[in-house]
Amino acid sequence: MRYARKFLVAFVIAFALAGAGTAGAYHTQWVANNCNNAAPTPTSYITRDGSITVALYARHEGYQWGGGCWNDNDVDDSPGDPKSDPNTGGEGPDCSGFTFKVWRETLDETSTAFHQWWRLRNIHGPYTAQRFKNADGAANYPLSKSAAIKMDAYASATHIGMIYVTNPDGTDQIIEALGESYGTNVWTRAYRGNSIFSGVRRLGWSQS
Amino acid sequence: MDEFHSSHSRLTRAAGVLAGVLAGIVTVVLAGTALAHRIVQPATLPLLEATHLPPLLTTRAERTELRYDVYCARSEAEAETPCAVDGAVFARAGDTGTYQVVAAQEEQGVSGTRFVALLPESIARAATGFSYYAVFRSDETDLVTTLPAGGAAAPQRSLPLGRSIGIALGSHSFGDGREASERVAEAAWGTGLSEAGLEQGKNLMPIGGSAFDVEEDGSVVVLDEANKRLLRWRGDGGTPDAVPLAINGTMADMSIGEDGTVYVLETAGGHGAKLLLRTFDRDGGERATGAVAERPSQVRVGPEGPVVLQSSSAQWMPAAREGRTVGVSGQINAAESGRPLSDGRRIVILRHGNEVRVALVGSAAVQRAWLVTSETPLAEVQLAEPYGTGVVLVTRVFTDDRDEFVVLALDRRGIVKRFSLDSADWAETAPLSRFRLRGSSLYQLGSTSAGLFVDRFDLEVE
Repeated sequence: MRYARKFLVAFVIAFALAGAGTAGAYHTQWVANNCNNAAPTPTSYITRDGSITVALYARHEGYQWGGGCWNDNDVDDSPGDPKSDPNTGGEGPDCSGFTFKVWRETLDETSTAFHQWWRLRNIHGPYTAQRFKNADGAANYPLSKSAAIKMDAYASATHIGMIYVTNPDGTDQIIEALGESYGTNVWTRAYRGNSIFSGVRRLGWSQS
Repeated sequence: MDEFHSSHSRLTRAAGVLAGVLAGIVTVVLAGTALAHRIVQPATLPLLEATHLPPLLTTRAERTELRYDVYCARSEAEAETPCAVDGAVFARAGDTGTYQVVAAQEEQGVSGTRFVALLPESIARAATGFSYYAVFRSDETDLVTTLPAGGAAAPQRSLPLGRSIGIALGSHSFGDGREASERVAEAAWGTGLSEAGLEQGKNLMPIGGSAFDVEEDGSVVVLDEANKRLLRWRGDGGTPDAVPLAINGTMADMSIGEDGTVYVLETAGGHGAKLLLRTFDRDGGERATGAVAERPSQVRVGPEGPVVLQSSSAQWMPAAREGRTVGVSGQINAAESGRPLSDGRRIVILRHGNEVRVALVGSAAVQRAWLVTSETPLAEVQLAEPYGTGVVLVTRVFTDDRDEFVVLALDRRGIVKRFSLDSADWAETAPLSRFRLRGSSLYQLGSTSAGLFVDRFDLEVE
């Protein structure tokens, strides 16, 4: 009986300690358990509507600074990641990683080709929001904000979001990976007129 | 023998402890693995969505065609090969009677699926305007979407602008912003009793003081969402009272009723969770929490209670009536174009390009309308409220590197007053929460890297 009690006590302590350790490491496992490093699929063209569809499949998923992998269950599977740690391995893209995948860009900054990165491919791409704002990379070029239409983006030094549709009051519905507390979704925003944002367009859309 | 028994006993105890430790670790590992596998959902579901910019106010010169962008996919892999969709628009003259089916034709030569419905003249040119809704169906995916979501019960409403008053703003001159009549509220960023919280993240613009309103007695109330409270300045601009609120702490809109009831619309709820309208009494006591439909972005107070603006169709929905929460289907089925005003009228806004149309609507017809044009691009309309026999309109003018707000007091003669304001938008707020009108005072919620403030501008002073 005493031995059974000792077994039980040891079990409980080990369970608690192992559980605590796993809790700390839990978020590091989401990408490891769910994502892949598969090669992208080159495509000969992309359309704005097709990119909206790609983006809509990320809606309601999580946000991960430096991330770029999500599933399609409409839930953030790794909520509450530390906001300043890009290595927590949680679900979701960050704003620039999301734009990179939705715009189907390549890792080669001199290329304007189109690469389909599937949602479970963990990739962020080479661009930060600031670099998108600067229109760095051959696939990105600056755009007057008054000319921006769906799937063009507004980029600031820290954030980038893409136009889903414009509202009658002059705001835009923006599809964006906003932050750990917000995830990835469509929200009404007043980015267009705000001077900290610049317009950016992906080069080479097939039709408009 | 005793030594043997003692050694055996120690070994058995050690084995028991070891077995317990191993069992505990194995249990955790197995549970974690099971969890990891449970959250893997490799398949994507089909989707069907439609967007539409409603022609809320039309001129006689315009060709009235209704355009819809429809996004239909069987899976992520088929993003560039949209599924087949059928669409129909149901339209009628005015807002009563039988709907007529108008075929929505797929537009040729464009990407994706774009539908255009050209309304017959008898509907498009009706003196009382027209009402309509659209239904899109994909037999391939068994999905159907209706826009507006209320369909026949709550159609989109389009009204003829009529003899609008033309306002030509010309080219905007930046840098001539008006000074405030007074600063009525001010708080540094922080977590102290009289400070306002600032939410910051790696990709976030700083967000702080995400909405505000002005109470009947002139008290200014800021939603300090990051600190989960209200800050109320009672008119002397001194130290604010802090009123704790049971809210999420993320960006939210807020409006306050005439009786002091506080309505907080959480526009960025938990991922996948329904968005919420929270109702509090003036002292922060929680009265009700209800789900709101269709991704709303604003809450304002109408004659019967709070109304919220749904993003998908730009209709206003009642979230509560006479103190009772309206359910989601009730909201959708009671949605209307134009924001209801306390005097029973509605105010309708349509910005397109460098033009803003504003109309005061009563008894299903436009009573007075203004058509504002600008040589400098116009962004959002931050505020449109009745003022005297006209309206006060606040809209943003912008270039690619500058922006300001233009304040216009308009009446039947045209511009009564016009001035510019610095955008003062260092911190992000809910999208249309930077201005409020109370009496003849316009209030602006502004911010700098040091903190937030609310300035008052007297509209009766030159």
